[in-house]
Amino acid sequence: MIASIAWKNVWRNKPRSLIVICSITLGTVAGVFVAGLMNGWVDQRIKDVIYTQMSHIKLRNPNYLINEESQYTISDYQQITSFIDTASEVKNWCSRLTIMAMATTSRGSCGLILKGIDPENEKRVSNIQELILPGGGNYFGEQTKLPPVLIGDKAAELLRIKSFRIDDRVLDSLRKLQLPETTINKLKQIADIRFVTDRKFKKALNSCLTSAEIRKYGPYIIDLAKYYHPKAKITFSFTNAKGELSYQTFQVCGIFKTSNSTFDQSSAFVQSSVLSMAAGFGENAFHEIAILLKNGDSDLIPFSEKLSNTFNNANVMTWKKMAPDAGLMADFMNFYYFMIMGIIFFALAFGIINTMMMAILERIKELGMLMAIGMSKRKVFSMIMLETVFLTLIGSILGMLLGAALIGITGRVGLNFASIAEGFEAIGYSAVVYPSISSSFFIGVTVMVIVIGILSSIIPARKALKQNPVESLRIE
Amino acid sequence: MKVIEIKHIVKIYTEAELEVIAVNGVSLDFDEGEFTAIVGPSGSGKTTLLNMIGGLDNPSSGEILIGGMSITSLKGSELTNFRMRNIGFVFQSYNLIPVLTAKENTEFVMNLQGKSKRECETRSLELLKAVGLEERVNARPAKLSGGQQQRVAVARALAAKPKFVLADEPTANLDSKATETLLEIREKLNRKENITFIFSTHDNRVVKKARRVITLEDGKILSDIKKNGSD
Repeated sequence: MIASIAWKNVWRNKPRSLIVICSITLGTVAGVFVAGLMNGWVDQRIKDVIYTQMSHIKLRNPNYLINEESQYTISDYQQITSFIDTASEVKNWCSRLTIMAMATTSRGSCGLILKGIDPENEKRVSNIQELILPGGGNYFGEQTKLPPVLIGDKAAELLRIKSFRIDDRVLDSLRKLQLPETTINKLKQIADIRFVTDRKFKKALNSCLTSAEIRKYGPYIIDLAKYYHPKAKITFSFTNAKGELSYQTFQVCGIFKTSNSTFDQSSAFVQSSVLSMAAGFGENAFHEIAILLKNGDSDLIPFSEKLSNTFNNANVMTWKKMAPDAGLMADFMNFYYFMIMGIIFFALAFGIINTMMMAILERIKELGMLMAIGMSKRKVFSMIMLETVFLTLIGSILGMLLGAALIGITGRVGLNFASIAEGFEAIGYSAVVYPSISSSFFIGVTVMVIVIGILSSIIPARKALKQNPVESLRIE
Repeated sequence: MKVIEIKHIVKIYTEAELEVIAVNGVSLDFDEGEFTAIVGPSGSGKTTLLNMIGGLDNPSSGEILIGGMSITSLKGSELTNFRMRNIGFVFQSYNLIPVLTAKENTEFVMNLQGKSKRECETRSLELLKAVGLEERVNARPAKLSGGQQQRVAVARALAAKPKFVLADEPTANLDSKATETLLEIREKLNRKENITFIFSTHDNRVVKKARRVITLEDGKILSDIKKNGSD
């Protein structure tokens, strides 16, 4: 009965209740969407860390971690691989040689970590083969005259095997995308000029297009004007197993792009058999074993401890230790999302209290009558508390539904922050975000809303309970 | 059988550092089924007396016994609970709950008492029929006339079968026809339920119908006349 009256009381002054509900709805939508956006970023970062860069667990020679000298390969390799082959927690694993190298082409040079992999095994642990750029070759698929190498988009730029050029093909494609002819004509000013870096090409675009045109069409133009030079030759110099300088020339088979430009700038993949021979390593000499777990993070700590306890000569590291920023986010983001929601609801609570105070002051006489005819203070308190909770719940449920719909839509199509992509990718975050949020977040928000509703009702309810029935009934 | 016994009650208010004696040494008894009108000029102490009988206000001294039990010692929830179980109230401005229908308003006190849904429904429909509102059971107060609202208020006051009903100027906002109807209903219900009614009033039509008329002046009883043949 109390709940039924409380529900009806919510709708006594429809415009006022609707205004409060709208403000709660908007606040909730904003909070849910911001949480979804951040969660999308963090999820993507964690996926990149695990499936592109690190895997769940890595085993290395402890000395390798101190000075990264290539002689420090994994001891007990056979025993370790036999152990992880039979471990039920392991989904897949692969071994890698990792050697610091200097890469040189006829036009540029840069330092890289050369990773010797078995391409087939690597595919089971990492998703690097899915990240080959369109027009950027393939994943060790095509026969090349020299041993193949897979390099990152940023390294390709530094080695000058990537360039930008506006030519007839690009202009035709832009016409098909229905870019205005005036914009296309402006682009003709820089037609057939070869730009070897992103920055130089963007500078040229800035000089011939307006900022509005760049904002609107820039990403399409950059994408279409990009040229790679697969099959370019790169010579790597590195220290071999004996500590002497060695050289090996590779031919680019593919160019990949992850959401982390630092990784793209510093990583190159070659076949381990080629690198092993070039660097003079024996069979079963590897610098790291990367393990992907079946149950992900739930087995992470127990299995890493199990490995540490079993193999004293190996350093076992989880992805959370290797990428502490991502690990920290994985552990604390839920708390952070609830903090955002808490701040929003805290601010909304003042509006709710104000509305409820008005509702109480308008009903002083009625509340006096209710107490006079026998409604206990506990029931009066419950009624006001329920009114506040209903008001808050309606707004927040609507907000959560709209927020979830917004996350659902943007999560499918993605949000492209192309204009600030460089900054994002430099710190390892994708410029295209796919917002997402777990259902447990909504359960948590619902509990939070109920608590906020109860807390917001305390002041108005106390005001109501302080009324003396006799004095309240005298009010005209 | 005595329903209410009032023993020398005094009520003193302090207003702007001045003591005002609202009720001054009143002693009264009310029998079961009695219909009493308390009359007197404004400020004579009618409402204060009614509030003290109804447990809404405490006397400064003296004692009030309801069904042999002193209510002056009851506090807080005990007193609220006592009011809910023993006293029916009818107010001058009806004071129905605007978001509830006539039927829901009538059932309200029974619901507070924890009566079953079926019992509440049977009793409320019986009372709304008795007050001539069987056609308006689902109407909210805003859709009812003043007289109809006061009839719902009477039905609500009687719903929980109280020992007595206190009505503070119940006809003050009603026209003659509505007053006449309300008094007829009261008479009918009084016969049927044998409930004690105490009205504070200025209305001569109520005074004419009452079996007992108590006149107050300056907080004291000026006269207490029991009539034969009224009602």
